[in-house]
Formats: sequence, structure tokens, C-alpha cells
Amino acid sequence: MLDISYLRKTNHRIISIGSHPGILQSMMDFDYLSGKSEPDLKAIIASGKKFLRLFWGGQEKLIPIYGSLQAIPDALKRETSLFLNLTSGRRSMSSTLEVLSGFPHLVGGTLFAENIPEKNTLDIYQHIGKKQFIVGPSSVGLLIPGHLKLGAIGGTQAKQLLGADLFEPGNIAVFSSSGGMTNELINLVTGAGKRISFSLSFGGDRFPLLTPIDAFRAAEKDKDTESIVYFGELGGYDEYDLVELIKAKKITKKIITYIGGTISEMFETPPQFGHAKAMAARGEETAQAKTAALKAVGVHATSSFTEFIKLVQSLPDEKKKPNNEREKMVKEMSHRTASYFINGISHDKDGSVEILGKDLLSLATEHSYGYVVGSMLLGRQLKSKNTAEFIDLVMKLLVDHGPYVSGAVNTMISARAGKDLVSSVVSGLLTIGPRFGGAINQAAKHWLEGVEAQVSPYDYVESIAKKRGIISGIGHKKYRVDAPDPRVSLIIGFTKELKQTSYTDFATEVEKITTAKKGNLILNIDGAIAAVLLDLLSEKEGLTEKELLELVDAEFFNAFFVLSRAVGFTAHYLDQKRRDEGLFRLSPKEINYIDKL
Amino acid sequence: MSRVKLTEWKAKQLLYAELGKKYNGISVQVDKKSYIFSSPLSKLSTKKEYVVKVDQGVKGRMKKSLVLLAVKRNDLTKAFQKLSQKGYTQYIIEEMLPHQSQQEKYLSLERTREGVLLRYSVQGGIDIERMKEQVKSVTITDTLPLSALKEMGVMKSEFEAMRELFEKNYVSFMEINPLVITSSGMQALDLAVEVDSTAEFFIKNGWTGKDIVEEQVKSIEEQKVKELNSKSQAALSYTLLNKNGSLWCLLSGGGASITLADEIYNLGFGPELGNYGEYSGNPNQEETYLYTTYVLQSMLKSKSKTLTLIVGGGVANFTDIRTTFKGVLQALDKFKTKLLKRHVTLFVRRGGPYQEEGLAMIASWAKKNRMYGYVAGPELPLHEIVRLAVKTLPKNK
Repeated sequence: MLDISYLRKTNHRIISIGSHPGILQSMMDFDYLSGKSEPDLKAIIASGKKFLRLFWGGQEKLIPIYGSLQAIPDALKRETSLFLNLTSGRRSMSSTLEVLSGFPHLVGGTLFAENIPEKNTLDIYQHIGKKQFIVGPSSVGLLIPGHLKLGAIGGTQAKQLLGADLFEPGNIAVFSSSGGMTNELINLVTGAGKRISFSLSFGGDRFPLLTPIDAFRAAEKDKDTESIVYFGELGGYDEYDLVELIKAKKITKKIITYIGGTISEMFETPPQFGHAKAMAARGEETAQAKTAALKAVGVHATSSFTEFIKLVQSLPDEKKKPNNEREKMVKEMSHRTASYFINGISHDKDGSVEILGKDLLSLATEHSYGYVVGSMLLGRQLKSKNTAEFIDLVMKLLVDHGPYVSGAVNTMISARAGKDLVSSVVSGLLTIGPRFGGAINQAAKHWLEGVEAQVSPYDYVESIAKKRGIISGIGHKKYRVDAPDPRVSLIIGFTKELKQTSYTDFATEVEKITTAKKGNLILNIDGAIAAVLLDLLSEKEGLTEKELLELVDAEFFNAFFVLSRAVGFTAHYLDQKRRDEGLFRLSPKEINYIDKL
Repeated sequence: MSRVKLTEWKAKQLLYAELGKKYNGISVQVDKKSYIFSSPLSKLSTKKEYVVKVDQGVKGRMKKSLVLLAVKRNDLTKAFQKLSQKGYTQYIIEEMLPHQSQQEKYLSLERTREGVLLRYSVQGGIDIERMKEQVKSVTITDTLPLSALKEMGVMKSEFEAMRELFEKNYVSFMEINPLVITSSGMQALDLAVEVDSTAEFFIKNGWTGKDIVEEQVKSIEEQKVKELNSKSQAALSYTLLNKNGSLWCLLSGGGASITLADEIYNLGFGPELGNYGEYSGNPNQEETYLYTTYVLQSMLKSKSKTLTLIVGGGVANFTDIRTTFKGVLQALDKFKTKLLKRHVTLFVRRGGPYQEEGLAMIASWAKKNRMYGYVAGPELPLHEIVRLAVKTLPKNK
């Protein structure tokens, strides 16, 4: 049941299923111009990107996109009151049924798709709760001036919304099957100096979920509505139901209507005019018969559009409030352009740089280097001192591991070839990957996988051994179980501050199994860093498993190695420059030639 | 959604399969001058008698003499020829079922908001329209209409099979008239089935688009628009009303297009109206271009001395006026020489997103090419564009 007074006094949270940027933007613009502090549109269910960029006034705003209804946070599920379904006719039924059962406090929604089979529409009809409503299928939606725009109704450009004066509520309800005519009538009414109380289009299908009669009843019940402007079409019996309601005094408000389709009189078997519903098979379903029946019960019904316009104009005028402020806003909005990039790290503010909401100078003077690095890589300020200290340590521990490793060698060769600083350091960095330096990220992936799947460390090791894979973060050339790496115990020491150490536990359990096989298959520095960092991020920084996985995918855990080791490579570059040994070249002795593999 | 008819042949195949019976009907299609049969006629018996019916969704076939009874195998070809002369191309051949006319019953199922509406009468046949009072009806929700079935002599299992067919195939309406009940259960002498064309995607092992009755398409352009519509997300329709009309339309929106057509009719120019149709749901430039092309092609075939084109529509919600008008102009440009030669005048009334740009574009084109009648946005009442356009037509039509 559609209750306009209730909708008018309630604030809404809208979820869109499927995305149609033009329509969604127009809803944002409507809310902005209505003076709301934030948009009603809270999220989109669609595949692909994580966010949709839309404008809120002149500024861009990110509207979250969820891959499924299940992925929406529970709090938002509870708060969602309205939906807009923009999916195709094929997906509409399943997605609508899902929405009806998935949001506990849902009041209603709009179904946009054309081409929904009537059987599916009726299935949806069975599932709509007594207090709920759905306008559609093939509806442009529902509009309450200055308060709610649920669909394309009223237009998709800010200029159109302003032109039709959709921000100041009035007392005329406007509806039609036809989306185009609904908007035409809105413009007709507001162009004549009146304003609308609410407007909707039921859509031209045979079984609209919200029937014309439901709309008339809603208008009757709505205190703010004084008269109704309705565009009807040939076909169907809705107008006769209306006649009965008027006779029974259940509809008492003034109705002005035009029933389209007199032209079908011209044909013995008329072609399909207008919408699917508008097929006048029988005498009573013609425009003429309906117009006469409505006239007989006092409705201002006509089949002349000229007369219809006159009738609308004869309704009492409402004083127009000057809209200067909004005109200015719309003008500003017309100049907005989408940015090429969006970033959440830093920006210019009053001439100085602000990083993560803090000006650079105070960041530099009040915090450790580990804090700055950790915060920036995570994209928000660190919550815990422990994380900052740990990262500080990691950054130092990874700074160099001798001149023999491939990255350092590359840097030295480039330096001796006379290359500049950046080229030489980059040639070192380019060796970082699956075999050199990339182990922290890979180890993080192991520990995450293992903990998430809740497999026993033994089974996990076996499953990798079976595939003849190796476990990153396990094994060392020099250190052994009886001669442990002192750096590792330093790192593991950080878990003392933690209540939950599931990743570190998993890693050390794995180590027990691997060292039983071979003495040097110990948890190495990469594996330890990954494990402790995961535990810190999870407990101290509040990251979810899903967020941790996203960090792995973005190679977050390798970043520390890259940054820290850049110092080491630079040192080796400068050192080679100081020594100035000249071009390095290997002799045939050092590169063996074997012609057959 | 839109309701379309299945061929009787396909409908019967589906029904009899559901009833667990064999259907022996043969479908015949005329392709140019040759016949295509679903199974060879030589298999038919020379002794038996057959019924030949037009299978193109025509109502009241008996009264229109589109059913030929008691045809012998050797006379079948003659029967097709007789029906072909009337312009039909699809037939169905069935074995005659000897029965008394008192045995003929009526049964139909229709999908309604409240449930499936069963209409039935123990007296059926071609005069059912005149015996409306005798037709009883009951809305079926969960339980079977047992007393109705008993009265009709329809077996419970057969009715359940019908319901199964009805749901599985997204049927909107099915009618068996006459229905004859024999010792082996129900026999559907004539069967009409309407399904929802938008449901094709959901149907497994049922009908496909090929089983939908081909309406008698009047012109190439109508056929082309139909094809265009089937491939588009937008909605495009086109009907040729008077091939020699003088007033031609490029209308948008289901409601606005009726209003404009009504105005033409109300002003007494209905007979001059060449076409009806509409495009809506934000078609892209290419689709609008093709749609306009077909309208212009039709218009240029008209023998009328005066040719006036109305590009009309309401204030669109989300259809992009600039983009759709670009398509319209692309087509106008293509036919420019021919349009000029016929002194076509252009009248435009439209609103919606990017209306300023769209209207300016079309106005400047029309002026440059001496076809300008009037170009207006929402400041002009919708129907007024018709009043302006008909002034170009000779009076007293």
C-alpha cells in the first residue's frame, strides 16, 4: 500500500539494483537541490567496480557498489527503506524477490525494466507485503517534490528538475501509465503555475504492481493532495473501477483526466496504440466509452487535449517562491567535470600539503618514520603504536642483505657502467619479484589462506608438497633450526602485545612440520614479517580477512621490502661511484658455453 | 510484456505431449510457390478424411471459411491453393474426428491478477460468443476446480497436465473450442494459445520465437522496424495506416504518441495519417537513424501531393534528445534530395534531457534545407504541433 503522507515525513535510504548513471545522478541532484545534507542513495548492487562516481552538487562522491545483496553491511540492510531496480527484464524478478526478503524494513521501490513476463510480475505481486508498494514494471518511478525521487521521473538533468519546479510541494497529484506523459503532465501542471503533491507512473504493462486504483486511493488518503490529474489510455477496466469508487464516495477529490485513444475509432481492427495494455478489444474499453462513464460520475474527463489543458489551468494557482538560490546551484552544477583521478592520500590545502588529513609538518615532527610509512601505505592513519613500531623495525631490518643479492649486483653493474642514480637504483629494483624479495607477500598469502580455510598446518604443508610447490617464508640458506636467525625472534617478539596471533601461530606450526623434514626449513624473516604484520593489522588496525586479502592482491606486503631496500641499493650505487672502478665485464671463463641442453 | 499467439500446430504439440498423447497434425508452410510439410503427405491414408485450417492466429476461422472440412488426401493440394488465394501462408492438416455438435464443449484459461481464470461451458462451438450466459467461470488459485471438471467430464490428470503446460510455457491465455471428450480423454479440435513474448528466455523445452504466429505484415518497413525492435533495448513500433497519406509521424512515447494521433483524428485529418508508431526507452543514435529511415522510406512512397512530417513527443524523462535527434538528422540528410523534391515540411515538438541542443540542431537543419514548418520545445503545448502541421494540408479532407 502506497502511503504518501508516511513517505513524505520519513527520511529514506535507497539501494539501487543495477546501475544507470544518468538516472542515479538525477536522484543525487534532486536530493542536493532539495537541500538534503546527504544523498538518499546509499549503495548499488552490481558487478564490476567497487564504487560509482557521482556528483553531489559540484563535488564527486563515491557510491559503494556491492557484488550481491549479501555483501551489503547488515546495518545498511536494516536501514534500507526503498529500492530502485534498474536490471533487465530477465533479472528483474529474481532480484526483486531477493530485495523483498533481504531488507527487513523495506517500504517500497520502483521496477524500471520493460519486458518482464507477466507471470513473473504476478509472482512478484504475491510477495509484496501489505504495507509495501512497488511501482512498475516499466515505470519511471515515484516523485514527491522536495523529498523523494525514486527513478527517472521528472527528468535526468538538473535543469529539467528546476524547470519543472520539483522542489516545492503543492497539492496536485499527477499520474499515468506512460512515463513520458507523466513528465509531460508534470510540466503542464507546473508550467501553468501550480505545483504537484506527488507523481508516479504505473507503467504500461498489463499487470502493474501498483494499479491506477491504488494510486487514486493513495491520492485520496494524502492530506496534501487536493486534486488529481490523470492521463489514461484505451484498454482495460481501471476507469470503471474508479467509477465504482467514486459512486461509493471512496474517491471524493477532484479529478481531471484525458483518456487517449479516440483515434482507434477509425479502424475496424485497430492496430496497437500506445502501451501493451492499450488494446481495446471491447466496446467498454474504448477511450470514448471510458470518458463518458467518468463524466457521468462527475469526473472532469475529456478526449480533447485542448480542453484538458484548460481544465488543468483552471485549478487554483499556487504562489511560486523565487528559486534564485537553486538557479545559482544548477548553474554551478552545469560546469562540473569528472576528475581524471581520485586519491585519498594527500592534497593541497591552503597552500600546504596535507597527508591523510594531517599537515605534513606535524606528521613529520610528531610521528616516527614507521608511522608515516604504515599510514600512507594503508591509506589511513595507523591506530596502534605497536604497528608503527613494528613497521619502523621492518624498514630497518630489510635495508640491506649484503652486496651479493641480484638487486644489489644489478645496481653496482649499472653504476660502474656510468649510469645515473635513478637508472642504477631502478635496475636493482627491477629484480624484485617472485624469486627475490617478493616472498613477504607470497608468505602472507599462505598464512591467510591457511587460517581462512581452517586447515591443519600439516594438511596445508602436504597439499603444497603434493603439487611440488614451495612455501614462501620458509627456508634459509644459512640459518637452521639449531642455528636460528636472530632477526626472526626479534620480529616474533612483537606478538607479545597481541591477544590474537592466529597467523603467527599458523606460521610457526608450519615451521615445526617443515623443520622436521629438513633442518634449514625454518620460518625465515619474510615469513615472520608477513605473519606478525597480518596479526597486527587484524587485531590492532581492525582489518577484516577480506581487506587483508585485497592487500595481498595489491602487493602491500612487498612494499616494505621495495622501500627499505631502495636505501640499500642507493648506498651501493654511491659506494661504486666513490670507488670509480670503470665498466664491469665478465670473461668467457665466467660464462660457460654449452651448446646442447 | 506482450501477448502473442503460438501456431496452433505448435500449441497442440505441446498440449498433447503434456497429456502423454501423440499428435498427428501436419503443418504446411507456403514458401514462394512451394509447400513445406512437417511430415510427408504420402503417409496419410487415402481412405480417411482430413481438416485443413489456416494457422495464422485468425479468430473466427469457421465463419470466415478458413477451415475446410472432410478433405480427402488427394484433394489437399487443392485446399491449400484455395486458402492461398486469400493471402494465407500457413496451414495445419488434422484427421477429422467424427462427433456430434452436441458433444462440443468450451474451455479456456486466462492469467489474471487474482489467479488463473477458468471459463467453461458444456456447450461450445462457433457460436460461443452468442452463448456468453452459459459460460461459467472460476478463478483457480491452489485447489483444483473439481465440480467444474466433473460437469465438463474432464479428467483430473488431464486438467493438471494443462495447468502444467500453462505455467511451464508462460501462457497468458489458452482456449479449446470445440473441446470433445472421448473415451480416450480430451480432444482439442481447435486450440488457441497466447504466450508472453518476453518470456522466451525463461522457457526450456517449450516454444521459441519461431513458433509465434506471423502477423500479416503489410510493408517492408513494418517488417524492418519489427526486426530492429527485437534487437534493441529500447521500444520501437511502426504501423502503416494509409500508404498514400500526407501526414507522417515520428513519435516518441506510448502516451504522447496516442495524444498526437488523437489530435490528428479529432481535427478531422485521421484519413490523412500515413503511419502510427513510436520510439521510446532511449534508443541510441544508430537505432533512431534506422527507425527514421524506414518512416521516410514509407512516406516517400506515398502518392500524396503534400507531405508533412511531425517529429513529436512529450518531455522525456531519460531519452537523450540530442542523441536521438542526431539519428533523425542523419536519416533526413540521407533522403535530403528526395524530401526537397516533394516539398516536405517539418514540424517538431519535443522536450527532455539535452533538448536545447537537439532542438537547435533540427531547427537549423530544417531552415537550411527549406523544410522548416515549426520547431518547439515544451513551451508549446504537446498537441499544438498537430494544429500547426495540419495547416499545410489541403482542407476538406
